[in-house]
Amino acid sequence: MAKKTYDLLFKLLLIGDSGVGKTCILFRFSDDAFTTTFISTIGIDFKIKTVELRGKKIKLQIWDTAGQERFHTITTSYYRGAMGIMLVYDITNEKSFENIVKWLRNIDEHANEDVEKMILGNKCDMTDKRTVSKERGETIAREHSIRFMETSAKANINIERAFSELAEAILIKTAGKEPGDPVDRVTVDRRPTNTSKSCCN
Amino acid sequence: MPDCSENYEKEISDGKNARNIKCKYCNSVILTPSTAAFTSFEFQLPLIRQSKINEQNPETENVSLFWAVTDMFTFQNVGFSNTVGNNKYLTCADCEAGPIGYHDLSNKMSYVALSRVIHS
Ligand SMILES: Nc1nc2c(ncn2[C@@H]2O[C@H](COP(=O)(O)OP(=O)(O)O)[C@@H](O)[C@H]2O)c(=O)[nH]1
Ligand SMILES: [Mg+2]
Repeated sequence: MAKKTYDLLFKLLLIGDSGVGKTCILFRFSDDAFTTTFISTIGIDFKIKTVELRGKKIKLQIWDTAGQERFHTITTSYYRGAMGIMLVYDITNEKSFENIVKWLRNIDEHANEDVEKMILGNKCDMTDKRTVSKERGETIAREHSIRFMETSAKANINIERAFSELAEAILIKTAGKEPGDPVDRVTVDRRPTNTSKSCCN
Repeated sequence: MPDCSENYEKEISDGKNARNIKCKYCNSVILTPSTAAFTSFEFQLPLIRQSKINEQNPETENVSLFWAVTDMFTFQNVGFSNTVGNNKYLTCADCEAGPIGYHDLSNKMSYVALSRVIHS
């Protein structure tokens, strides 16, 4: 067995109506030089990113839907093992905001009950087209005791921050628990890492 | 065009990558030192830029030098494409440049092409 180079692994999902910007949040805003390449035609399934929080090296495995949300057919298999969910709406699309409640119900039904959630009001760069105020976003988040942030995948506002806050919330939640819990949580080597060895920028 | 193996000799130490493996385009760290094993075999890897988009039949080049990674979570930052045949292609997690290699679903191994990344 190869030695693990990380302390924890968190599986994160992006959920929300079609068109709110989930794919762009995960894979950058896609009007750059690589969009006409081989990769952009096949599409990306998931991404692995490494973050360091509280001295722990954490691997985030972040999944995009394969467009199933269009048919409202997101099911248990997509949610399996998820420890964090980014629930996204579009601040220029009232309907996508109203559907947040539906998605929350879907999550309750299919996801692990202690899954950590965060609501993102995306496309906050489009101020002139805004129809959902920031206050409404904050209110719904408060009502459900969920974190909230406005983001822009296009202008790269709050994207990294959102992921590290979600990861941090999961970390706090996980901290009190013993490894080997009978959940889908991927429990890996919990030995302290030798941080002095880390040499990434 | 065959890879020129001599260029890479100093990158291999004890069979592993001596330095960080990074994206050629945006410098994102893909693998940290000593986490991937050098290996050599022939594979037809699709070109990053295709002159015309043809999913079934992409333009490829013969690549023969790879960094082999046994556990996908060894990667510092990487993207996995949707499945094509028995493989998923690997991309830079930050700028999506790729394929920088591929993941074989049958043996769960990931292979990063030395010629598609930089070492620093
Ligand atoms: N202005 C703006 N447009 C965005 C943003 N995020 C995504 N979009 C656009 O919204 C559309 C849908 O995005 P996509 O990521 O495919 O949505 P998905 O269906 O949720 O995956 C695309 O045309 C994107 O270019 C953003 O932050 N700002
Ligand atoms: Mg999408």
